[in-house]
Amino acid sequence: MKYPTFLFLLLTLGFFLLLPINAGSQSGNVIGLVEAVMCEDTKGSAPQNITTVFSIERRTAVCFTVFDPVPQQVVIYHHWIHRDKPSARIKLNLKPPRWSTYSSIQLRAEDIGPWRVEITDSQGNIFDVLRFSVTE
Amino acid sequence: MDNFLFLISSLRWQDIVDIGLVSYILLRFYVLFRGTNAFRVLIGIIILWFFQQVAVSMGLIVTSWVVQGVVALGAIIIIVIFRNEIRNVLLARNLKSIFWDFSSKTVITAIETIVQSVHEMAQQKCGALLVFPGKEDLEEVVQGGIPWQGAISREMIMSIFWPDNPVHDGAAVIQGNQIKEVAAILPLSRRDDLPSYYGTRHRAALGLAEATDALVIAVSEERGDVVVARGSELKIVKQKRRLEQILLEHMGVAVKKGRESRKEKLAFIAAALFSVIFTTGVWFSVSRGVDTLVTLQVPLEYTKRDLSMEIVNTSVNTVNLELEGSGALIKSMRPDQVQIRLDLSKSIAGPNTFSITRNSISLPPGVVLKGVTPSVVEVELDVLIKKELPVQIDWTGRLPDHFILEQATVMPKTVEIIGGKRMLEKMQTLYTEKVPLDNLDVEGVIAANVALNPASLKIASGSEERVTIKYLTRLRNQ
Repeated sequence: MKYPTFLFLLLTLGFFLLLPINAGSQSGNVIGLVEAVMCEDTKGSAPQNITTVFSIERRTAVCFTVFDPVPQQVVIYHHWIHRDKPSARIKLNLKPPRWSTYSSIQLRAEDIGPWRVEITDSQGNIFDVLRFSVTE
Repeated sequence: MDNFLFLISSLRWQDIVDIGLVSYILLRFYVLFRGTNAFRVLIGIIILWFFQQVAVSMGLIVTSWVVQGVVALGAIIIIVIFRNEIRNVLLARNLKSIFWDFSSKTVITAIETIVQSVHEMAQQKCGALLVFPGKEDLEEVVQGGIPWQGAISREMIMSIFWPDNPVHDGAAVIQGNQIKEVAAILPLSRRDDLPSYYGTRHRAALGLAEATDALVIAVSEERGDVVVARGSELKIVKQKRRLEQILLEHMGVAVKKGRESRKEKLAFIAAALFSVIFTTGVWFSVSRGVDTLVTLQVPLEYTKRDLSMEIVNTSVNTVNLELEGSGALIKSMRPDQVQIRLDLSKSIAGPNTFSITRNSISLPPGVVLKGVTPSVVEVELDVLIKKELPVQIDWTGRLPDHFILEQATVMPKTVEIIGGKRMLEKMQTLYTEKVPLDNLDVEGVIAANVALNPASLKIASGSEERVTIKYLTRLRNQ
């Protein structure tokens, strides 16, 4: 009678001792988006002229993102969408422990209108959506 | 002959009813207005109109213009000059006699009452003057009458001409079975060949009879004679039966015998035949004239749509109909007479195909459908659902070069809309109407409407179409 009780207690203790370790390893795989902005340019890993409107005269729109933590090397995507129509899907690599990255598009006259950039992981889970307009 | 038989065999029952009704209306006009001056002028105008058509077909330009002018003038003359006569013809009859009765008889019992009253007044030597209008208007000839509008009765007539009655000196105007006016003053005859025992009353009776087609009865208070004045004739009538016959004849009720009756019947048959032939001629010239082909672009109308669904797309919005008919019918066709209605009661969500059949097209009578292009229409329907979508500002214009729009937030961030399921499934964002950048301050709050595109989208109750935009600009780093 004592052995089963002892075995049960041992298994219960082992479960509670192992649980934080597993949970910790799971949370350790989650990457965090700490900054996502639209800007006209980047300079030294920092966004320059954060804005929500781009004139086509400026020629470039940049989506700048900072991830922290980045537990392991992963891939994220910047989906550039013009009026609900996908325009570009840019694949970006993230490296531990912290990573800043950006994507950009060249602006043309036909790009005038509302845009959005969806920042997703490789499974399509959305981290954030940035909305901006391209004007004359 | 073959053509004629073909024309006859192509007649529908509706066409026969059409011709019959118009012929009957023409005949009714003849029955109601025969013998009036307006009718005579109308006949003259119709003859002139035929003359004008002949002049046009012969190429007589000026003649046709002049005759056309005379015809137009004649139409105005009939309405203006004979308005009272036309009114009298219509007022003197009840609805039944206007639409059905072929004689112009009034109530016979009224005539019997009048004759009895006149006879009694003559016996009592009570002077009286009774006017029975014909088809001519008396308004301009008879003056000073007092409106009476009383039903005829022996007592009423006797009391009007009772010596102590203030109105007994004038004439009573009797129309149908009513005493219309009393104390009416009649024009006096200027004839100098009248017997000396005829006084003012007899001169008044003759004066009106000479000027109009009215019949006037005068009762002498000296001798108790009953004198009937008609045209330029004064006639003493001693027998009640004779007076009754004269009145019946005047009212058009009396049974005419011999040649007169036959002549009247022949005139009536001729009028009936003319009405049918004339109407048939006009009908054939209008509906079976020179064939004209025309192509009309007609918008599609949809009926009996399930209210939980809406039309999201159609392959065409208009359909070309090739129509054939006589030139007159085609020219007189109005756009609202040609309609294409598609019944959506059996439609389902998604694409539906409809064939445009003759049953779905309504055309004016006499116009024939020759072709439909396209004959098949694709209609896409969708079930209505609600969806909450984020709102994004649709900026336009430009900021000054040294400024950037650093921040712009929309309140509320989302708006719920109602629209077709298939359409809303594809939609991920609602945009505002164009918001100009040119007039922005450094920071501020502006309002804008959500642009509903396509227009079939609706804002759900609880959401608002207008959103607030809070913005912040700053100087650009060079």
